Amino acid sequence: MSARAIVGGILTSGAILGIATGVGVAAHPSVSVGVGTTGTIGTGASSGSSSGSSGSGSTSGSSGSGADGSYTGQSVNTPFGSVQVQVTVSGGKIADVTALHLTDADGRSRQISDYAAPILHDEVLSAQSANVQMVGGATYTSEGYLMSLQSALDQAGL
Amino acid sequence: MTATLTRPTPAPAARPAPAPALRQRRRRLRADLLVVLAWASAAIALALYLGTGLLDLSTPAGTLTSFGIATGLVGSDLVLVMLVLAARIPALDRTVGHDRAMAAHRRLGKPAFYLLLGHGILLTLGYALADGHNVVAETVMLLGSEDMPLAYLSLGLFVAVIVTSLVVVHRKLPYEAWHVVHLLSYAAVLGALPHQLSQGAVLSHGPQRVYWIALYLVAFGAIVLFRVLRPLVASMRHGITVERVERIAHDAVSVHLTGRDLRRLNAQGGQFFFWRFWAPGTWWHAHPISLSSAPTDRHARITIRELGRGTRALAELAPGTPVSFSGPFGLFTAATRSHRKISVLAAGIGVTPVMSLLERIDAAPGDVTVLVRASHDDDLYLWDELQEWGDRHGMRVYRSVGPRAGGANGWLSRPDVSRGVTTASVFPDVAASDVYICGPDGWADAAETAVRRQGATEIHRERFDW
Repeated sequence: MSARAIVGGILTSGAILGIATGVGVAAHPSVSVGVGTTGTIGTGASSGSSSGSSGSGSTSGSSGSGADGSYTGQSVNTPFGSVQVQVTVSGGKIADVTALHLTDADGRSRQISDYAAPILHDEVLSAQSANVQMVGGATYTSEGYLMSLQSALDQAGL
Repeated sequence: MTATLTRPTPAPAARPAPAPALRQRRRRLRADLLVVLAWASAAIALALYLGTGLLDLSTPAGTLTSFGIATGLVGSDLVLVMLVLAARIPALDRTVGHDRAMAAHRRLGKPAFYLLLGHGILLTLGYALADGHNVVAETVMLLGSEDMPLAYLSLGLFVAVIVTSLVVVHRKLPYEAWHVVHLLSYAAVLGALPHQLSQGAVLSHGPQRVYWIALYLVAFGAIVLFRVLRPLVASMRHGITVERVERIAHDAVSVHLTGRDLRRLNAQGGQFFFWRFWAPGTWWHAHPISLSSAPTDRHARITIRELGRGTRALAELAPGTPVSFSGPFGLFTAATRSHRKISVLAAGIGVTPVMSLLERIDAAPGDVTVLVRASHDDDLYLWDELQEWGDRHGMRVYRSVGPRAGGANGWLSRPDVSRGVTTASVFPDVAASDVYICGPDGWADAAETAVRRQGATEIHRERFDW
């Protein structure tokens, strides 16, 4: 192998990696609310339905306290797949959170989802809000989970 | 030492266009561009990963995982480059030569393996750290994931392939055993594929998936096309069979082959083929053997030294044995020539491609000098034939027989060196000639060093160690 080939290889690779690093920094993937997806209020004691994207949960109860029922959060896109949760409200409190869809783009993502979801579930129930710590090593799953949860809580008026 | 110089040197003939030296410069440029392309394929693999912005160096777990992904990507890319190098692609052979392609293939083996091993270790550590598991628990968990048992099996196969290819082990193993284990590398590459597409956080979707599937298609496409389909078609078309086996020395035979339209193989003197003889005990692997005579339309000849069990079986081939082949291969030909004068250094059975090279070379009397090296007169294969050819065509043909000399002229025999023979006295014009060297590696290295010291630059070597 000639020196010219090696130098050429190194310079070409350096250029390719340099460009990619720039693109990577600019891309900086983040979680975002899915376009065109709407969370809909599930069946329950609450009357009527509302568009989840506005986050205005229409309830028959007084404002400020959520009516009983199931509220579906927005679908949140992450680089590893979308995340969507449903919250069950009972007596103005968060009674349960069900994961409808979790990061599942690949085997490792599924593994992370399986491990992070129960932790997030328990944290949310004890904190009674979406304002909980993210699970280490599961940043995208946590962000998606809590963002979707918050939109559901907004609908519920909690 | 026998010197034979029959005719005076006439004026040099007009050169064919394009100028050979320019053609060689272009070939070397293409070879260098291929090296750049190989580097770029790994760089693009890394770049596509970096471009996603998923590189995470903020935590120890993220750093381990990121490096684990990067080593896996580069390691897999190297393995695919190795497959392409071993695919016997004719254009690649014409550009760099099969022997140099295989030398690069061998050099990449260990780095690729260490990267893949690092991939497994780093990801296990990274995941274990992120999940708060110990390494054993994480490994058990990984083994339970989709496609992962196959991936671990592949890594095990790679270990077997690399270990049997280590120089120390390879020498002790029969060629046949090494060959069978080496074939497992196809299984190893394919076994690793499913987990890349289903488990990898990187290859399971997006443009990277497209890039990698394309790389796999190119590598395996080349293998299927050039190692399977093309040889099959050529073998059927030419219908080669063994005509007879001729013993030419106590440990060497010439196999005379017959077939149809052999000129259309476009084999040049000095090239070799991978031959597969469909006889019991030897049909299951192909032998790389040089032509020892330029083929005519109906006949070709190869000459083999009996080195191991596999080559000994060839001495007993019955007339009529069907032969399949792939080739021709090699740059030990006049096609890579850039000077009028030619110097040839051959040792032992390395004389066989030299014989077919000289039969086809377009050279004026006096332009060609040949020296054949052997330890004993018994090892001077094809000597009478070579000498007669040289006599008829005005080539100087020398032999240097005896134990190896030491020192700067170590490629010559001790008796000749003590008589005052040197590289410069045998090849006075070596600096302005194309030098063809063929023989065992250690000897050929010594010969190359000797002629380079005399100013030779255009050196063509055929390596015998595949």
